[in-house]
Amino acid sequence: MKTNANALSRGLVRCHDCGHLSKVNTPHCPVCNGHLHPRKPKSLQRTAALLLSSYALYLPANVFPIMTVTRLGSGEPHTIIGGIFALIDSGMMPIALLVLVASILVPMVKLLGLSLLVFSVYFNWPINARLATVVYRIIAFVGRWSMLDIFMITILVSLVNLGGVAQVIAGPAATAFACVVVLTMFAATSFDPRLIWDNPNAYE
Amino acid sequence: MELAACPECDLLLNPHQAAVGENAHCPRCGYLLQRPSKQSIERTLALSIAGLLLMLPANLLPLVGIKVLGTSHDGTLWSGVFTLFSEGMWAVAVLVFLSSMLFPLLNIVLSLLVSFYLHFNKPNKYLSHWMRWLQHLKEWAMLEVYMLGIIVACVKLTSMSEVKFGLGLYAFIALIVVSGMLASHLDGYLFWRHIRRLNNKL
Repeated sequence: MKTNANALSRGLVRCHDCGHLSKVNTPHCPVCNGHLHPRKPKSLQRTAALLLSSYALYLPANVFPIMTVTRLGSGEPHTIIGGIFALIDSGMMPIALLVLVASILVPMVKLLGLSLLVFSVYFNWPINARLATVVYRIIAFVGRWSMLDIFMITILVSLVNLGGVAQVIAGPAATAFACVVVLTMFAATSFDPRLIWDNPNAYE
Repeated sequence: MELAACPECDLLLNPHQAAVGENAHCPRCGYLLQRPSKQSIERTLALSIAGLLLMLPANLLPLVGIKVLGTSHDGTLWSGVFTLFSEGMWAVAVLVFLSSMLFPLLNIVLSLLVSFYLHFNKPNKYLSHWMRWLQHLKEWAMLEVYMLGIIVACVKLTSMSEVKFGLGLYAFIALIVVSGMLASHLDGYLFWRHIRRLNNKL
């Protein structure tokens, strides 16, 4: 049998962790003892705050060098975009594309997509709820892949450590970029997709 | 009959136990509610033991090495974290340590603990805590992303030196395969049902 009602409208709250349904105003889940909330607490405020911090850090992450490559004494700083151009110059198009997607496109799509979702819920925009949920799902899934650049630098830093001959040193943008990745991941988890469906103007 | 709700759109559902090989999706938003696997508990237990065994060589043996002007240099998971830390990039070092070493380990240890107690039908008052941590940790264990990082780093290094793969890399790849299988065989829906039954015995 298929019902067509929200659990909350029937006075039921789903446990975030184990999925057990309890009556509204039950403080703890009887199965796993987790805190119960009808929706994630302060979901929009938390997501918006985390998004704002990520926007602020997105700039230094792209402006400052993410690593400095020293060869025979002369240092050459690389930004994220500079690293992609270096890959294109050496004829590694597929890898350049991969880094472009993971370090530039994914963080940008996440920031803009989550911002749009927050706005649509806050201002009750008439949106396709099913589509918005799919967008949310994609954003939540791709977030971790942005760590690619950080891991690549970790490997380069530990391997290319030959004193004056060749050395790779991580730059200040690495910290900023790592923060962007972590903050947007937290933003995605603090957003409650059920709010999309609570919007009275949304359609299926 | 007990009701359930979709975690992403809160649609009230009449749950039916999906059969093995069948995917249960939410009819309204398409969320994957359950994908049952054959012998979920036993396979989770076996895979977590395999993962635990692979953890040691994957963490300690060299993953990749380079050879420049006659001197060779090996890199392990740990040496990357250590070098970043000694260069003063402690925030990045901590993040890399957590996402490539500690969380993957915890992920496997928690799967092992939960499936062990479920398999031997032993109640434990921490079972629901472990299961909850496991669910929250999952997305922060990023071994497969690290693997992609290794590939990109190797491509960048080929222009300046000779790159060779270490024994640890094979263990690392095996660990990624095991972790992936672990994620697809662990049926959260089934696990919580058993935890609930065991908690009633406490």
